[in-house]
Amino acid sequence: MLPVVTKGLVHDYVTRDEEGNASETKRALDHVDITVEEGQFIAVLGANGSGKSTLAKHINALLLPTDGTVLTCDMDTADDDYLWEIRKSAGMVFQNPDNQIVASVVEEDVGFGPENLGVPTEEILERVDECLKAVGMTKYRESSPNKLSGGQKQRVAIAGILAMQPRCILLDEPTAMLDPIGRREVLETVHRLNREKGITVLLITHYMEEVIDADRVLVMNKGHLVMQGTPREIFSRMDELKELRLEVPQVTELSQGLAKAGYDIGVALTPEEFADAYAGKFGGLHGAQAPAAAGNTAENAATAAQKPENDASEAKEAILTLRDVSYVYGAKTAFEKVAVDDVNLDIYPGEYIGLIGHTGSGKSTMIQLLNGLERPSEGSVCFEGEDIFGEKYNRRLLRYNVGLVFQYPDHQLFETTVFQDVCYGPKNQGLTGDELKARAEWALNLVGVDPSQWQTSPFELSGGQKRRVAIAGVLAMKPKVLVLDEPTAGLDPGGRDEILGEIDRIRRETGMTVVLVSHRMEDVARFADRLVVMNDGKILYAASPRVVFRHRRELTEVGLEVPQVTQVMQLLREKGLQVPGDLITTEEALAALIPAKQ
Amino acid sequence: MLRDITIGQYYPVDSCIHRLDPRTKIIGTLLYIVSLFLVRSFPGFIVVITAFAGVLILSKVPVKYLLRGLKPILLILFITVLFNFFLTDGKVVWHWKIFTITQEGLLRGAFMGIRLVLLIFGTSMMTYTTTPNQLTDGLERLMKPLRVIHFPVHEMAMMMSIALRFIPILTEEATRIRKAQTARGADMESGGLIKRAKSLVPVFIPLLVSAFHRAFDLAMAMEARCYHGGKGRTKMKPLRYRLGDAFAFLYLVCYVGTVILLRIWLKI
Repeated sequence: MLPVVTKGLVHDYVTRDEEGNASETKRALDHVDITVEEGQFIAVLGANGSGKSTLAKHINALLLPTDGTVLTCDMDTADDDYLWEIRKSAGMVFQNPDNQIVASVVEEDVGFGPENLGVPTEEILERVDECLKAVGMTKYRESSPNKLSGGQKQRVAIAGILAMQPRCILLDEPTAMLDPIGRREVLETVHRLNREKGITVLLITHYMEEVIDADRVLVMNKGHLVMQGTPREIFSRMDELKELRLEVPQVTELSQGLAKAGYDIGVALTPEEFADAYAGKFGGLHGAQAPAAAGNTAENAATAAQKPENDASEAKEAILTLRDVSYVYGAKTAFEKVAVDDVNLDIYPGEYIGLIGHTGSGKSTMIQLLNGLERPSEGSVCFEGEDIFGEKYNRRLLRYNVGLVFQYPDHQLFETTVFQDVCYGPKNQGLTGDELKARAEWALNLVGVDPSQWQTSPFELSGGQKRRVAIAGVLAMKPKVLVLDEPTAGLDPGGRDEILGEIDRIRRETGMTVVLVSHRMEDVARFADRLVVMNDGKILYAASPRVVFRHRRELTEVGLEVPQVTQVMQLLREKGLQVPGDLITTEEALAALIPAKQ
Repeated sequence: MLRDITIGQYYPVDSCIHRLDPRTKIIGTLLYIVSLFLVRSFPGFIVVITAFAGVLILSKVPVKYLLRGLKPILLILFITVLFNFFLTDGKVVWHWKIFTITQEGLLRGAFMGIRLVLLIFGTSMMTYTTTPNQLTDGLERLMKPLRVIHFPVHEMAMMMSIALRFIPILTEEATRIRKAQTARGADMESGGLIKRAKSLVPVFIPLLVSAFHRAFDLAMAMEARCYHGGKGRTKMKPLRYRLGDAFAFLYLVCYVGTVILLRIWLKI
């Protein structure tokens, strides 16, 4: 039996006008042929809109082929008689953890599938027991899904699929909305099910790190299957992937950069693999020494590097100052929680700050304190030297100066046209006529939205474009400080790099202060001047990325990682190589690893 | 404002009332409401209060909690009592300009007030001891006979439980959108009624769009999990009457019997 076979699969999305006539046809899948063997772990990569979700929906018979055939566990999806058998055999987990949990209690949600299949009560209870155990959620059996983290919710969703005893699980970007910890939880669960229960897995994603352990990778582009092979084969084609708005893991990029310079160590997929290969082949070039001595020099370097930075910041006056700020949710109730705990922070004009920390570390509260959306329980927040909760302080004015872009800002678009939506902020500011128009045009040009789209509805745009419009909506107020909460969440690597590149350009052009909340260490390492690491409501580190990332072990303990490049360099040092341990970008690392030619 | 909406007021303790089948509690509450309207005078309330007190003690719900349940209807309670005070004809006890209070009015106001308070107590007792989902289950089961006249009982119950699941999610989302628009300079706290209503448009539209998205996603997820209506569906936790329910029904019969007997024989 083959879990999935598609032959010449074509799918057209047809838009119909009011009379029901087809007005527009968009081809989402174009003659796709795939065969998945039983027990395999298949990863499907592709940019937003490449047709990968459409493919998964075909396998589950949620969509039917326009042309060609799909066989799921040897059953034709076009045959109505097999419908429920197909959906039972190939269960599907979706992207948004909230929108797929039906019941208000975890165990009842897991039982939902078997209930629909008419399984007898005693057996449902047995299956629920077993499946919750398989995903490690037995402890939360009677909890409300609303009390769970994103990763836990996705594990419940997986248990709900398992309870139907499928032979194959399809996961449609299950980790797109999760933080790194949640992503790891879900991935580990899926791999374990694949290994221990022999369930075939088809994982759709655009996180490259999730792909490296797959048996086979399929790459989709514009409805076509453009590449397939082992992760190593796929990642060796780095340039082609970049053209498809995808990327390769940072270590792979590094290993290929080395290969181009004539130091071939093969295609490395993990930092460990890279370090072993490099140390084995070229370790001699860096005068291998006793590791202990090397550690000492690193520490000396750290203290030396910190000093000049402090001097530089003291020269300027801070634009935002947090003094002894604490924030308590639900004070004096059973739900009391200290979200921000006695924090002191100065943000200087023109600075680019990367704010990192896992979910629940207090960073979301922190950014809401910056523009007065939340009032600190204790301490004070000052903007340009004035207490924003002072008696006569105008906080509306403050919000024009400290622009806050929430997570998924595209979910807040509401006007009939893109242009009008961007005008909302400046209009509230009191701008009218030509001034208002000029402001909106300036903002839209800044984020690179083409004038031809200005009069269309924001709801008709693609994900990346919507995100740009939403950011323009805040930029249009010409804030002095721009705060962005994970502006690239859910975008593909191409879209992510574009948005980050634009933010960096805007900052260089306008001199705006930027505070970027992010989970991706590689991104903050590339752009931020200073990192603020939060854990349990406290600031753990506030220093340059180079200094912060030296604390690999401490960061790992609080559920954060350092960029892969930094991991590589530190692993090499542990192996006794004389290389700097505090490099944070691929370029730097390449320069250090390619020995001087002279 | 949006944050204040809470659904259900379940008081999570383990008591014999909590453990009762939701059907028993729904039937019990209905009978209790009917009994309130059978009582015609103050002495009758003594029976009602005694019976209710018994349930209250068994349920382990603190009286403080019960009183809190009155908060939302305080205004209605106040108006009801006042209207009865002023608008009943009879022996005048106090008069000022157009306002007249009569002895009958005082008695009637007090009577109506007590009836209303007891009514709220009874229904709160049900919601304090039954989760919204148990209630939905109970209603679905009780209304099953209505399927004969093609009333979509299962669908209604499913809709209710989905609503219960999504209300907290949408409430949270509304808060988030409101904050995001406030960050763009929206002013939702000042101005007259019309201005305030207008200022909600930027919150309401995204919320509506999101609700539709969620509905679409959920429908797909349910289909992918083989949901096809109530036909051929089994239950993970089917409702079963237990010994406790038998006692509860016995208690109910005694209580309703007493109220009816009082009304027929003692005319109170």
